Amino acid sequence: MKQTALLSMFLFIFCCFAGGAQAENTLKIGVQAPITGKYANEGQGIDQAVRLLAEQINAKGGVLGKQIEVVSCDDEGTAMKAAICAKNLVNKGVKMVIGSYTSTCAEAAQATYYRAGVLQTTDGTSDSLTEHGYWTFFRNSFPNSAEGNFAAKYLVKEKKYQRIAILSDFSSYADGLGTAVEKAVKNLNGNIIYRGKIKSGAQNFTPVITQIKSKKPDVLFFSGYFSDGGLIRSQMVGLGLKADFVGGDSNDNPDFLKLAGKSAQGAYIINVPTPELLPYDLAKDFLKAYKAKYNMTPPSIWTLLNVDGMRAFIHAMEQNNSFDTKQASEFLHQMKDYPGITGPISFAKDGNRIGSGYMAYRIEADGSYKIVFK
Amino acid sequence: MKHSDYYGYALFFLALVILPSFLDSRWQAVATTFIIFTIVALSQDVVLGKSGMFNMGQALFFGLGAYTSAICNTKLGMPLLASVPLAIIIPAFFGIILAGPIIHLRGDYLLVVTIGFNIVFVQALQNNLLGLTGGPNGIFGIDTLQIPGVDSGSQAAVYYICLAALVMVLMMLKNLETSKAGRALHYFREDPLAAESIGINTRAYKIFAFALGAGIAGLAGTLYANQYSAVSPEAFDFVQSVLFFSIVIVGGSSVPGIVLGVFVMFVLPEIFRDFATWRYFIFGFAMIFTMILRPCGIWPATYGKVPAYILKGKQHGKK
Amino acid sequence: MDIFFQQLVNGLTIGAMFALIALGYTMVYGVMKLINFAHGDMVAGAAFVGLTIYTHIMGEAASLLAVIAIFLLTAAVVAFLGILLERAAYRPLRNAPRLSAVVSALGASLIIQNGIMLVWGPQMRIFPELIPQVSWEFGGVIVSLIQFLIMGVSLLLMVALYLFIEKTRMGAAIRAASIDQDAARLMGINVDRIIAVIFIIGASLGAVGGLFIGLYYRGITFNMGWQYGLYAFVAAIMGGIGNIPGAMLGGIILGLFNAFIAGYVSSTWADAFTFILLIVILIVRPTGILGERVAEKV
Repeated sequence: MKQTALLSMFLFIFCCFAGGAQAENTLKIGVQAPITGKYANEGQGIDQAVRLLAEQINAKGGVLGKQIEVVSCDDEGTAMKAAICAKNLVNKGVKMVIGSYTSTCAEAAQATYYRAGVLQTTDGTSDSLTEHGYWTFFRNSFPNSAEGNFAAKYLVKEKKYQRIAILSDFSSYADGLGTAVEKAVKNLNGNIIYRGKIKSGAQNFTPVITQIKSKKPDVLFFSGYFSDGGLIRSQMVGLGLKADFVGGDSNDNPDFLKLAGKSAQGAYIINVPTPELLPYDLAKDFLKAYKAKYNMTPPSIWTLLNVDGMRAFIHAMEQNNSFDTKQASEFLHQMKDYPGITGPISFAKDGNRIGSGYMAYRIEADGSYKIVFK
Repeated sequence: MKHSDYYGYALFFLALVILPSFLDSRWQAVATTFIIFTIVALSQDVVLGKSGMFNMGQALFFGLGAYTSAICNTKLGMPLLASVPLAIIIPAFFGIILAGPIIHLRGDYLLVVTIGFNIVFVQALQNNLLGLTGGPNGIFGIDTLQIPGVDSGSQAAVYYICLAALVMVLMMLKNLETSKAGRALHYFREDPLAAESIGINTRAYKIFAFALGAGIAGLAGTLYANQYSAVSPEAFDFVQSVLFFSIVIVGGSSVPGIVLGVFVMFVLPEIFRDFATWRYFIFGFAMIFTMILRPCGIWPATYGKVPAYILKGKQHGKK
Repeated sequence: MDIFFQQLVNGLTIGAMFALIALGYTMVYGVMKLINFAHGDMVAGAAFVGLTIYTHIMGEAASLLAVIAIFLLTAAVVAFLGILLERAAYRPLRNAPRLSAVVSALGASLIIQNGIMLVWGPQMRIFPELIPQVSWEFGGVIVSLIQFLIMGVSLLLMVALYLFIEKTRMGAAIRAASIDQDAARLMGINVDRIIAVIFIIGASLGAVGGLFIGLYYRGITFNMGWQYGLYAFVAAIMGGIGNIPGAMLGGIILGLFNAFIAGYVSSTWADAFTFILLIVILIVRPTGILGERVAEKV
């Protein structure tokens, strides 16, 4: 009978903690972001920014009289955790979800939100995100194909590179961006001499870079994340590969500079403007509030893009005078140039954000960015 | 098994049956995961606890089952229910193929090779082998298990399907214990040399145990794919295998011990948010203390009427 | 051909690191017949300890002396942790069943790994550029200062260890204890002391490896110990676990194999190929390339 007692005890603990559903007098907003793990600083940025915005809105009386309650779920940047997060957030009754940072995680969660009618906005740039036709999905950044076109223009037309090497890791975002750039470069009759993949997090990229070096490229475009990009840049210089380095948008992170050390100087990064360069008053105010609350600047532009997604959702609900997500989605598809922190916001029928504001930066000796092409 | 144990199990299952009516859907989901992981841990126990083979790659077979179902469902359009036999047979088949050449390796080497299998498997998934596995993202949008005549969309229905699977697995393992194969494995675990000398074909039975464990884990894989409607490589990483391995040893290769282990690892973190950050840290200490204080696990398995003097000092195979 | 030699250098660098870490596994296994799963996490911990010593104690002074001081201090701290680990987690289980010790080692690994996370946080920490990026070219093959250091220091340490094991009284005692602990004890060898020495040496070598990882790859994460530990462990098994030259050989082979596979075949399949190689070696030679130096106890 000892077993009976113990085994049943688990179940009682279970019931005690699990019980007690709450009354719905708040507007629940989910955050799905990599709060821990490799991309922790980006994830924490998103979480902090969403909480800050919620605080600001709550101070003004909330949304349609309801206070916002933020529910965060840490997807650790992995697809499986993202799928679990999606289930958890839906079960907690959120109306909208901000996130995730990576396309992979956004994609893993997408179907669950769609089935539950929960609005989702992400900075993920993978083209496949908007190919499912989910009415719940809104991208607050610009898709890979847009970046691919910009990058190709920069590489082929502006810099006139003759031998282009493209490297990505095999996540859906990085592979997608690599392929988008490859396609766009070929459209401009550029010459691609190498296209390869690395395993993200492997740290030792010297074998691959040695192989690339033997192909004598004059530029290496890396479409993966900063945590690998910084090392690749540093190991490239270490191995005497004299080619230029052009990093895709996810290399735009302070850690890229730290990882690459002195080698960071002279590297190029393609992205939408960094937060400090945003010309809008909304942006300046929000950055000031962020700095005041957290005593740091947001890790990157992605934080602010996600905040814009959330602002658009709330705007839609307020305009409709209803929390209904289907109506909000219809409104968002009609909306024209709603002023955002990162510029005017409009969405295409498939949930893509309209427009493109890419720029190319060069990293200077002091670690600052200089705009070289836009 | 004593009579009181029967009451214990009966009460336990009764509690599990009525559980969903006390829980909202979020906690039903936690309870479902709990049952799925219990099945995986039981399958690990067949190989490690019952047969004494140091297998640290059980997540491979779990993942193989999950991916089999996911691929059958999303690529071939098979209903999830129809993929269940395949999700059992394919892992079992791989269990036989993989175990064949390595089964004679001694404890620690076997452990390393099984870790190796697991890593090769995960890397194959990440590399989108044959264009089927969806790369590092895995496969999303898997249908739910449709059982004719049952509304299987709700979380409670998913829970009961998993519970039914758990009951089936437990009944099968109970039968195994008293069968010829079960006794052979037991003798083998206690004393391999003696087992061989009384004419037990240890090689065949070891491979059988591997295949059986793989098949059960494969079944759990289908349930997992059903629960999350997604599968992805990192869920079947070798770190997961390490957890299942530890759960069986710490729990002590008995059903209550395994249930306790799974509960601590997968349910407590959901109840206590703070515990989630601390769980591995605390579990680490628990592992060391349990091994020091109770080297055979918290709840050691008892086996039939083997006289105590035979078993003395011979738990977990040879020292 | 340049490419081939460049890959050789790449492989030797990483192989030297694997070998350093592998020695910790193999020495412990040799005497205790225990896979010290926590060793990889000690290596990761060493990188974090080194970084903290640099930023908080040395006040971010960068000089050759500072680097040497970091190495010595870190090795001392980690060696102490190694002894603590042995006392707390392994000694009480010396007479327990084999599996209990394995699980205890896994538990220690979880504690260290998550201890690092709780102390230093889950995000990536980044080492400063302590070793200047200088490199030399030899007929098309580029070797950087840090690569020289890694290969040179590792070689030096391995030769020193080999001489210590083969030529000194303590080394003879270690060899005796790894052949037969009970007989060694009867011959008047203090086996407890031998084990303590082994943990000190293993942990210090691991600490050097961990610092190399930090200095060379810069970014360190709390869970990187698994990755490096696993590789080093594979190296130890490949060479024949318990066998010290075997671990060195295994590390170098593994590093080279990895570099050539990643370079010539596919970097995304490198891990899988490594383990396939290991499995094949074990099927053909069940006790590793050089054979294990362990008396089989039945």
